[in-house]
Amino acid sequence: MSSQSTAPTAAQNATLDSKCPQGPIQDRWDRHRFQTKLVNPANKRRFHVLVVGTGLAGASAAATLAELGYRVSVFCIHESPRRAHSIAAQGGINAAKNYPNDGDSIWRLFYDTIKGGDYRARESNVYRLAQISNHIIDQCVAQGVPFAREYGGLLSNRSFGGAQVSRTFYARGQTGQQLLLGAYQALMRQVGEKKIQLYSRREMLDVVVADGVARGIVCRELGSGKIESFAGDAVLLATGGYGNVFYLSTNAKLSNATAAWRAHRRGAFFANPCFTQIHPTCIPVSGSHQSKLTLMSESLRNDGRVWVPQKRDDDRPPAAIPAAERDYFLERKYPSFGNLVPRDVASRNAKQVCDEGRGVGSSKMSVYLDFGDAIARDGAPKIAEKYGNLFQMYQRITAEDPYHSPMRIYPAVHYTMGGLWVDYNLESTIPGLFVLGEANFSDHGANRLGASALMQGLADGYFVIPATLGSHLAGRKLPPVSTAHPAFAAAEQDVQQRVERLLSINGKRGADDFHRELGLIVWNYCGMARNAKGLDLALGKVGALREEFWHNLRVLGSAQELNQSLERAGRVADFLELAELMIVDARHREESCGGHFREEYQTEDGEARRNDAQFAYAAAWQHTAPGADKGGQPSWSLHKEPLNFEFVSLSQRSYQ
Amino acid sequence: MSADHAPSSGMRLTLNIWRQSGPADAGRMETYHLDGISPDMSFLEMLDVLNVRLEREGREPVAFDHDCREGICGSCGVMIDGNAHGPEAETATCQLHMRSFADGAALTIEPFRAKGFPVLKDLVLDRSAFDRIIAAGGFISANTGCAVDANSTPVAKSDAELSMDAAQCIGCGACVAACPNAAAMLFVGAKIAHLGLLPQGQPERSKRVLAMARQMEAEGFGSCSNYYECEAACPKAISVENIARLNRDYLRAGLTTRD
Amino acid sequence: MNNRLFALATSSIGRKALMALTGLGLIGFLVVHLAGNLTLLAGSDGAAFNSYARTIESNPLLPLAEVGLAALFLAHIVLGIRQAAGNREARPVGYRQFQSHGNRKVSTSSMLVTGLIVLVFLVVHISDFRLAARHPQGLAYMVHERMRQPLGAAVYLLGVGALGVHLWHAFQSLFQSLGLRHPRYSPLIDKAGRGLAVLLALGFAVLPVYTWVASPAKAAAKAPAESTSSAVSGPHDSSPAAATPSVTKEPR
Repeated sequence: MSSQSTAPTAAQNATLDSKCPQGPIQDRWDRHRFQTKLVNPANKRRFHVLVVGTGLAGASAAATLAELGYRVSVFCIHESPRRAHSIAAQGGINAAKNYPNDGDSIWRLFYDTIKGGDYRARESNVYRLAQISNHIIDQCVAQGVPFAREYGGLLSNRSFGGAQVSRTFYARGQTGQQLLLGAYQALMRQVGEKKIQLYSRREMLDVVVADGVARGIVCRELGSGKIESFAGDAVLLATGGYGNVFYLSTNAKLSNATAAWRAHRRGAFFANPCFTQIHPTCIPVSGSHQSKLTLMSESLRNDGRVWVPQKRDDDRPPAAIPAAERDYFLERKYPSFGNLVPRDVASRNAKQVCDEGRGVGSSKMSVYLDFGDAIARDGAPKIAEKYGNLFQMYQRITAEDPYHSPMRIYPAVHYTMGGLWVDYNLESTIPGLFVLGEANFSDHGANRLGASALMQGLADGYFVIPATLGSHLAGRKLPPVSTAHPAFAAAEQDVQQRVERLLSINGKRGADDFHRELGLIVWNYCGMARNAKGLDLALGKVGALREEFWHNLRVLGSAQELNQSLERAGRVADFLELAELMIVDARHREESCGGHFREEYQTEDGEARRNDAQFAYAAAWQHTAPGADKGGQPSWSLHKEPLNFEFVSLSQRSYQ
Repeated sequence: MSADHAPSSGMRLTLNIWRQSGPADAGRMETYHLDGISPDMSFLEMLDVLNVRLEREGREPVAFDHDCREGICGSCGVMIDGNAHGPEAETATCQLHMRSFADGAALTIEPFRAKGFPVLKDLVLDRSAFDRIIAAGGFISANTGCAVDANSTPVAKSDAELSMDAAQCIGCGACVAACPNAAAMLFVGAKIAHLGLLPQGQPERSKRVLAMARQMEAEGFGSCSNYYECEAACPKAISVENIARLNRDYLRAGLTTRD
Repeated sequence: MNNRLFALATSSIGRKALMALTGLGLIGFLVVHLAGNLTLLAGSDGAAFNSYARTIESNPLLPLAEVGLAALFLAHIVLGIRQAAGNREARPVGYRQFQSHGNRKVSTSSMLVTGLIVLVFLVVHISDFRLAARHPQGLAYMVHERMRQPLGAAVYLLGVGALGVHLWHAFQSLFQSLGLRHPRYSPLIDKAGRGLAVLLALGFAVLPVYTWVASPAKAAAKAPAESTSSAVSGPHDSSPAAATPSVTKEPR
């Protein structure tokens, strides 16, 4: 095995090269694809690509790469690729088709996304995303995604998440499910044709970096506990976001950050971890047993009116409170957008009125979302047609009937804009390691617009990575590699030791118990609103909790079997470190932008105040204590990727 | 389990749960007593509580599959008192709340049973048979990049709606679990209908149905006796009309295709 | 091509379709058979019935038709048993508890049982009337004699009842198996199927009832222990009962 480094590790460089092309923004993606080396069609089958994760990004990437002729292996943590959490996305997917002829364009989608992200995303990436959006819809329709249609048989669009154009395509309230099934079916077609090898119930526990390049992964087969290594020529992580660091979130229970965090520990920078999104329309927490939160599509805000009583501690039932004594706070504060203000604004305002003591419900931690006026206006059947399934879901969970009394909602963590830093090719700071979908940090800046997550995941998988992977496979000289390379044995040993460590602590508290406590700390101090004092406090608390974790964890059973407690313990261990980085990042970013609201930095109206002079950059954190894996103190150094706005002028967001 | 771990308020339950240490183990029912259960808990949160108490007592927790806990990923699913996904209609196990059960109830919790769904541990199944059925033909072959404009092929709204009705399948396997024959006809029928109702699905319609049905049999699922237990158990209320469509497409394809 | 047809016919969906088609053929036979039976009611001495029987028996194609009919029965029975066995294999470990929520009636879950009862009845029935030596007074007399005996009538009614229960599920089911289902027509097919089941069962049950009603004295003479009224009311009770679902728990 050659010991010479075939590519410089960016990790050693202080400045980050985003590799964004120059020139007119409309031409950049074209030009970049032209300049990227092509992989000879005959050579494609010689390259083995490892894809980790089978959500929208992973499944679409794997299917497309296999169609192109690459040899692909796919790994998913679930029993089936179809269970990835993309399946739970409800609302829709944006595209700049302008079918409704209401003034939309690629440029407008680009502009809205940059602005919605509060000017903390890369222009080149976002423009590319808007360009690709149209091809995604074409592709999905060709695959048989049953999007909603008009009577004439053409596709139906709706306005979503405060957009002033109707650019959202949807399949009832199950758009994510239908898009994922489309990608899953494309993936399974390649599995059937033996072009993809599928490994399910595999949890990736390490990236293998050989001679400075990502050349494989180490997994645990969850059924038997067997540790397995796989070698390849490129590794694609499409493992989703880290919202479950909060314990309570709308993410699925298996959603975790371990794959991304293991890559981070091997040298991939982690960018903007403090950019987390809170979704305003979730079903409130009902008690301490709560294991996860349920989101309801924010399309509900199209017809529902958000209010709380004007008086504090008003215990009257909602029907007994006359209109004059209700505070429709979003309509009052944002007359032009009203209930359709962006997610972060709606969420923060809900938290604010609850903090003022005007929250409703037994916990006082919720606000009303009232359909009374809409039902009076359109009739219950019309409302049922639009939201019937959501009303049913709400009623099933709360045993309250939203047709007769207002829903109660409260914000919950929903999406994480931060993630592993990637360049324009979606390549991380570890050469050969690419990151797709929610797992990367690239396109949403400090806040994601509704119906844009599905767009980004599929853009990355169907269209970006198939074009940019050539920069690595054809652009670098990759010596053959197998799991016999010493880097594999070393990584396997690390994984093994970590698993044994978790099992041998023999303390008193289960992993979930630690996770709940961690979640509460992060939610209280690094949630919807943050301040320096709280963040400093949280840093100490998280450190202490991590210390206790490694001394007082209890995991029953063994490593050689299906052991769900052991799985969770490993994930919580990583969340304990990630939480710390989130707090460090939130502490360092002394401005408010998008989902990151620092109480010290707000306008007189209580709006986020950015500091473009000092913070118009992506904060990419490098892990600098690689040996601190098993309970030691992590530490990081900051790298800044400056964000230049050549095409959109920076302005303060205003939704009044 | 002793009562001193929990407040005595809340529901008391007796749980008879299938325990099986691995695929090779014969397995057995075990009985647990649980109290302090809130009616607002979901069924899986009740199992969480059980597991926390088991762990505290140094006993191995009950393994069960779950993920989204909002009824869409299809991971969860157990038989509760002989009902796939429990007693409520159109409700996946994760959406079931304890208010559906009486205080003091004794619940029998078993895994979905079918030759095609081997038990891996306790209540955890291997449902990869469904993946293989999809891999056999449950798709439209449309390589990325070759698609025409999305609006170039109109689809009648009624067809799109029917297709969507079928496409809602979450692949949980309750249809198989509830079928006295452990048949997977509703699962396969739903996919046949989803794709076969759309113009994009026509070119492969015959090939698809023959391949999927062949794989379905190879996986060891039973045949349809038109009991319609599947429709009643389906958390998405997918209609047995889709099974008729599967039969029709299959017979037509079997009798008329040339290759 | 032949391989494909074979594969089609041996697949589980194909087998169900064949069961449906053979079942449909058998229903057709039953309708004709019933029409023939009802000629017994036409004449006072069964002359119409006997002449109907003679016409059929003198047809040189009868053996061919009988072979065809036997093949239909055989195929239907073999397919049914094969299907049931395969279905049992599909769930090697059963449930401790199981609750039904489908539209299952007793008729649905007892298809194999009612089918087997009909099969047993069929054997008796054929040996009674087809294989047995023809009585010089004609077939109508033989039917009369057989139905006069309580045991003979009971066996007959049981067989006919099981048939009704079988058909209660079978008719709509065969449409489903052939893929013929439509929200607009299926409710009609359901009703038609139940109507047909009741009509066939009642129609066949008419024979013993008629026999008893037409000659109560003879029946009473044969069974002196029973009162006349009970002898008359018995078949009246049991014939509709055999065909209606409320009493179909019986065959379980």
